[in-house]
Amino acid sequence: MIIVIGAGPAGLAAAEAASRNGSEVALIDSSSRMGGQYWRHRSKVTGYRSNRADEIFAKVSAAQSITHISEANIWSAEREGNLIRVNYLQGGIESSLTAEKVIIATGAYDRTLPFLGWDTPGSMTPGAAQSLLKGQGVLVGKRIIVAGTGPFLLPVATGLAEAGAEIVALIDANSPLRWSLSPLALLTNIAKFSELVYYARLMRKFRIRPHFGRAVTTFANGVATISAVNSGFHIKSGKSQAMRADVVAVGWGFVPDLSLGGILGCAQRVDSDGTVIFEVDENQLSSQPQIWIAGEATGIGGADLSLIEGEIAGLAASGQKIKHALLTERVRKQRFANALKRSYPVRDGWREWITSNTTICRCEEVKSQEIRDSVSELGAEDSRTSKLFTRAGMGLCQGRMCSRNVSEIVSGITQCAVTDGERIAASNRPIAAPISLGQLSDGKNSR
Amino acid sequence: MTQTITFTFNGIPIQCEEGQSIAAALINSDQRELRKTRFGDEPRSIFCGIGICFDCVVVVNGVANQRSCLIEAHDGMKVESAQ
Repeated sequence: MIIVIGAGPAGLAAAEAASRNGSEVALIDSSSRMGGQYWRHRSKVTGYRSNRADEIFAKVSAAQSITHISEANIWSAEREGNLIRVNYLQGGIESSLTAEKVIIATGAYDRTLPFLGWDTPGSMTPGAAQSLLKGQGVLVGKRIIVAGTGPFLLPVATGLAEAGAEIVALIDANSPLRWSLSPLALLTNIAKFSELVYYARLMRKFRIRPHFGRAVTTFANGVATISAVNSGFHIKSGKSQAMRADVVAVGWGFVPDLSLGGILGCAQRVDSDGTVIFEVDENQLSSQPQIWIAGEATGIGGADLSLIEGEIAGLAASGQKIKHALLTERVRKQRFANALKRSYPVRDGWREWITSNTTICRCEEVKSQEIRDSVSELGAEDSRTSKLFTRAGMGLCQGRMCSRNVSEIVSGITQCAVTDGERIAASNRPIAAPISLGQLSDGKNSR
Repeated sequence: MTQTITFTFNGIPIQCEEGQSIAAALINSDQRELRKTRFGDEPRSIFCGIGICFDCVVVVNGVANQRSCLIEAHDGMKVESAQ
């Protein structure tokens, strides 16, 4: 049997591909419906090329050898001889499943940067605004600023507008001229222009005007400060303005969740943009035998790339032949993914936006000044020591929100670059999802 | 046709559609403040929306630290802000 973890684009493609030769597949996902974060929906997926979702949902549902285990939160995984055991919680009950092979497709979540007021109600990630709208049918506010960087801001802003919100501003800190750095990626992915045209049309329809080279730098009492920033994200003085909004949805690209692969010992590396990702070979096989990884956890690249990586992983895990054309297609999509990284970088200048009183670790309520003091007064030389002094990253989210930011703040003070080892250590956690000691000690339901 | 259900949030009755998450139901009822923080007593609400950040945690039927963005609201559920 093959366990596929995650039912987003990569996991669905992996499960579908593996089922083609009748391989038994258990598709485990934390959500009640398949689709992951990208194809979030209540009944029917809508948006750009949503027919792709319908097609793959239909194939996966129709495949007799695929069992979809929904609403299951995997909290750990372990090797047992030649088998891999996956432990999960479903409806408060601890269960586990063993298989010879595992495909990890756990996706990513919004990357966030701290600013004064990012912890007040009304400030959220674009992903949160999107998931409430698409998954729950709830509009988060009436006057919304969508900001940060990256192409994901387009579907979020236009989706919210379509649902009746006023998009006060759509703000990207980077300039679209950065795309001129990647002519080859654009020429080999001409189809992407139709996606841009699709969103441009929606933006015109809802009168959404994009602003570039700006960032939300404070948010309080329904007022956001929009600062002009240069290409290094340093604030240009005297060029800020105030905008009224009840919601600011700010996101800076994505961070993959590495927990499960990390627990299983899959080797990782630091990508060109500083994101920690898994090492995989041309068949998506990780450094660990019988464990394949596909989608955002092998490098942020979006749904198109995830679908192809998932298909390759599914074919490889089930021992089917992988056509050369599929591998070539992956190269083409990877080229576009690299162009995305070049076009939407997150520059160090953000560290100047934060004030001494800005919350850095949301869980443990650690302020910027405490991190600064841990370095300058207490002698912390790296983020790990700073975290021990301040408790930053030690709360319920296990540092998923602040770890990278703390590393970069400390590095800014010590003037020592964050090492790859530090980045990798900060991205790994001993437990993938919270579990109470009571649930741990209760009897297991094994199958 | 979706069923309407009722649960309470800090004693206030909240109506929502069956299948909606607690957080979605509360945001939809203009209850943006889900809890106060332990140290600073600062208001917090939904932030990541997908179960990663734990900012939206509430007490559900007496069980603490439940992510309201992930848990479906049920009829008669007792939801409270954590201390």
